Amino acid sequence: MDSIIKIDHITKEFKTLNRRVGLKGSFLDLFSRDYKVLKAVNDISMEIKQGEIVGYLGPNGAGKSTTIKMMTGVLEPTCGEILVNGRVPYKNRAKNSENIGVVFGQRSQLWWALPAIESFRILKEIYRIDDKTYKDNLEYFDALVGASDLYYKTVRQMSLGQRTLCDILASFLHNPSVVFLDEPTIGLDVSMKGKIRELIKVLNHERGTTVILTTHDMGDVDALCNRIVIIDKGTILYDNHIENLRKYFGAYRTIRFMFNKHGASKENETVENTMMEIDTLLKEEFSGAKSLSVGMDEKWIDVLLNEDEVPMMKIINCIQERKKIVDMTLQEISTESVIKKIYEGGLE
Amino acid sequence: MDNKRGLGFYIHLYKIILTQDLKSKMSYRADFIISTIGMVFTNVSGFITFWILFQNFPSIAGWNYYEMLFLYGFSLLALTPVQCFFDNNWNLRSHIYTGDFIKYCLRPINLFFYYMSEVFDMKGIGQFFFGTGTLYYAWNKLGIPFTLKNLILLIISFISASLFMIALMNLAAATNFWLMGSTFVMIFAFKFKDYARYPVKIFSRVFRFIFTFIIPIAFVAYYPSLFFLKPDEIPPLTYLSPFLGMIFFYISYKVWMKGALSYSGTGS
Repeated sequence: MDSIIKIDHITKEFKTLNRRVGLKGSFLDLFSRDYKVLKAVNDISMEIKQGEIVGYLGPNGAGKSTTIKMMTGVLEPTCGEILVNGRVPYKNRAKNSENIGVVFGQRSQLWWALPAIESFRILKEIYRIDDKTYKDNLEYFDALVGASDLYYKTVRQMSLGQRTLCDILASFLHNPSVVFLDEPTIGLDVSMKGKIRELIKVLNHERGTTVILTTHDMGDVDALCNRIVIIDKGTILYDNHIENLRKYFGAYRTIRFMFNKHGASKENETVENTMMEIDTLLKEEFSGAKSLSVGMDEKWIDVLLNEDEVPMMKIINCIQERKKIVDMTLQEISTESVIKKIYEGGLE
Repeated sequence: MDNKRGLGFYIHLYKIILTQDLKSKMSYRADFIISTIGMVFTNVSGFITFWILFQNFPSIAGWNYYEMLFLYGFSLLALTPVQCFFDNNWNLRSHIYTGDFIKYCLRPINLFFYYMSEVFDMKGIGQFFFGTGTLYYAWNKLGIPFTLKNLILLIISFISASLFMIALMNLAAATNFWLMGSTFVMIFAFKFKDYARYPVKIFSRVFRFIFTFIIPIAFVAYYPSLFFLKPDEIPPLTYLSPFLGMIFFYISYKVWMKGALSYSGTGS
């Protein structure tokens, strides 16, 4: 299949002023020519095929939004070339927009004071969608998520989840070949997240629409993406199938311990204290194990370890000698932990 | 198949987007009523200031009361289009500041058109009627013949005068793309409209130059009014005002678009 998006060694630089501190500093800044060049995106390349769902991940400020803005034609790369549907987005911004859809999780593009259906009608005119496609799409959306109840609700009065749902539907209305979803599930409750994931999955599957998704929610990644691209400080750290990534960290395990069913027994023995205690203990005993980390989740204390560094049984023994373990489970490494490891430099 | 989005497409789309804005406005009824009342008061108080002035001076720089009233009415009229159709310029700062401006960059239509089409300020309509009434009254009192030639002349001068004011506001608004918090530039530019109500002759040579060539506010009412009031005093430049208006508007459009395209948005 053909590539729908081709990114070839693009870099985006921003010039920012080196700001000084304090009121006097601010005043001096007015006359300053002391610029610092910041590479938001540094020499990245990738190809995305028709029909793929790509999870585009990275910590805050990694360059995700900048890349998306370049793909949508809002920003011009400092150097390098992008082709979306065979066109350079920045030079053909309007033409490019005809074939793409964009959703920003936190800001709605719908007309605030009107029912969603009115926004759809305006979009129908803007994108010159013919009557049949428009009608079919509205019926199709209704069949998928029961959207017709929402059509007549004023956007301003919608919940965040309903609004995001409508924004996503709006972005698919003109049958675009690529849809960019920037943190679509941010701030949504579990059931709405599920609904939106399902919607994206079905639209991708049945329409063959390419979806590029940025998110911080690993649930989105697990539910939707086969391929993930991880970016940090402007460079791509990883670009491959998600399964390969799990294999890479195959020797990692998470052991969950519970020391007390009610969370705390004595007054000063909170889960947090226990966690810190275990952390110090393990750091002392296994100082060679760099990947070892301790975390907590409600009543559970999670120990992440790499079996190539230290055998699991040794850790369990070590803890058992000092504390009474009430309950314990063993888990494969989760996508979340994998991504966290990569952000922290685990691939180096 | 016709792939270009032509004038017909944009006129049609403007109607659609305009209708949505009117519908939205009506859903905030109190806001609509209060702003209408506000506009009436602004106009009435402007007129009262003007009237008091003429209680004390019989004429200004050889312009009598009705001639000045003509100028006043014409300036109100010429300010109507900028008020009605380009009012969204005033929201540019907040759209840029919050990063919401990006939504205008993602549609397959002209960015400037899409942005401006989103707001239609109804207050402009009141101003239009107020201006028309004033102009009509002055026109009658001055005994200017109501001929087809004069009517056409009026329409042409009205359009070119409006273009100057629109261009001025576009340029002032465009500064927002480069400067954070440049609302004062807009307020400053908008203040100049008040000078449009006076004959340029009353100003010193320096300001006359400024108001003609740099901030061409004299084209908003003074030069066009000369056609009707002082046909023997028309400077040659006045005949070019429709073209100058178009050129000035075009420049402002280009600057605005350049700013919009260099806009990088806030991170999210």
